[in-house]
Amino acid sequence: MTRRLRRTRRAVAGLLLVAGILSFGYVGVSSYVAEQLVYAAPIPIDKTPASLGLRFAYVTFPSRQDHLTLRGWFIPGVLANGRLTADRAVVVVHGTRTNRESKGDHQLQLTGELARHGLAVLAFDMRGAGESTPAPLSMGTLEQRDVLGAVDFLRSGPIPIPELGRPRVIGGLGISMGAATLLMAAAREPAIQAVVSDSAYAEVVPLLEREVPKRTVPVIGHVPGGFVPAALVMSRVLYDVDFFAARPIDSIAAIAPRPLFLIHGLADDYVPVSNFHRLNAAASAPSTAHVMTWLVPKARHAQAFKQTGAEYVTRVVGFFDASLGADRSLPGAAA
Amino acid sequence: MRAVRAGLPLLVVLALAAALLAITTVAREISARAGFLVERPVVLLVWLVGLLLVATLLAWVSRSAIRRADTSVSLWLLILAAVALASPLLLTLQQHPSP
Repeated sequence: MTRRLRRTRRAVAGLLLVAGILSFGYVGVSSYVAEQLVYAAPIPIDKTPASLGLRFAYVTFPSRQDHLTLRGWFIPGVLANGRLTADRAVVVVHGTRTNRESKGDHQLQLTGELARHGLAVLAFDMRGAGESTPAPLSMGTLEQRDVLGAVDFLRSGPIPIPELGRPRVIGGLGISMGAATLLMAAAREPAIQAVVSDSAYAEVVPLLEREVPKRTVPVIGHVPGGFVPAALVMSRVLYDVDFFAARPIDSIAAIAPRPLFLIHGLADDYVPVSNFHRLNAAASAPSTAHVMTWLVPKARHAQAFKQTGAEYVTRVVGFFDASLGADRSLPGAAA
Repeated sequence: MRAVRAGLPLLVVLALAAALLAITTVAREISARAGFLVERPVVLLVWLVGLLLVATLLAWVSRSAIRRADTSVSLWLLILAAVALASPLLLTLQQHPSP
């Protein structure tokens, strides 16, 4: 055996060894990061609409397509004369790592305000959140089915408060991941007749690539940025969670001609305002588009309602009144 | 025949990757019946143990292939195996960060 051949063999062996160690190590760590990425521990719910003095019903319904059990509240709207109504219903969709109460962005208070302005509200926990069935977090890709399940429930499920009847029209309001999820669901479901999107992202992958390295995961601490692309791929391979498909930007135009209200905080450093501009441009592209926008000065991520309070309610209720029409319910139950 | 032997690590990389994916899919289907909270760690465990076994098998196959490699064709095939092995890493790093 020549010396040269021996040297070459050693070099090739070294190459294989390095490639093997790096690749197997990289894939192993990325798989672990993926496992952490697709899971958000459910947060318990502390308060109900009763804490706001509102009547409500607990509801349970399946997601569309995969039939996961989802839980929520149906809160009837309260008209100016004190009468309850379910004529116009708004599906409220919470953000990531929270639940239908969503203390961080005061979602319970917001749903209460909508109800007090005559809009019935279906606030529910998406899969893996609150009291709903544990399931992977997919940043909207799979959660769309939950929003569609909520629409199915309102249209053909058991009537939550029988004396109020079934909702005549359905709108949707989503915050952050809930907004992105709602946009994708509304693009597929014409029964959602008006959409309010607060702090939605245009696509989630750039957001994850930026944010995941800031998080710590057990055992390895901060995730080096280089592992994120493989972790996203491994999420798809191991758990069927396709973060690459969480792209409202691709489908938002299909919401037209239904009215769409885009809200975003100008001081949002989590989902930068460039996402709002991209979504607005894409949504406004069809000639039939009907897009309203509101950039909220100084508001950070998903904090527009918390910061502006009554103004937020006035704008959102005004949008739903204009889009869904006035309440047409017959005299029914009293509050 | 020697070239075939030298190509064995490359074939093993491809075959084992496919086998590992198949085993993980089966593990996923079975564990999913117990719910996501069970499925999540089970799938990761099966995958990581599978990776370890694949790495061990590949190291063993590569070692014997290197010992027998005495032509430039067989050495090139081994280099190709190393490139195939590193390709997932190279591809994902190339995508990072996304535009």
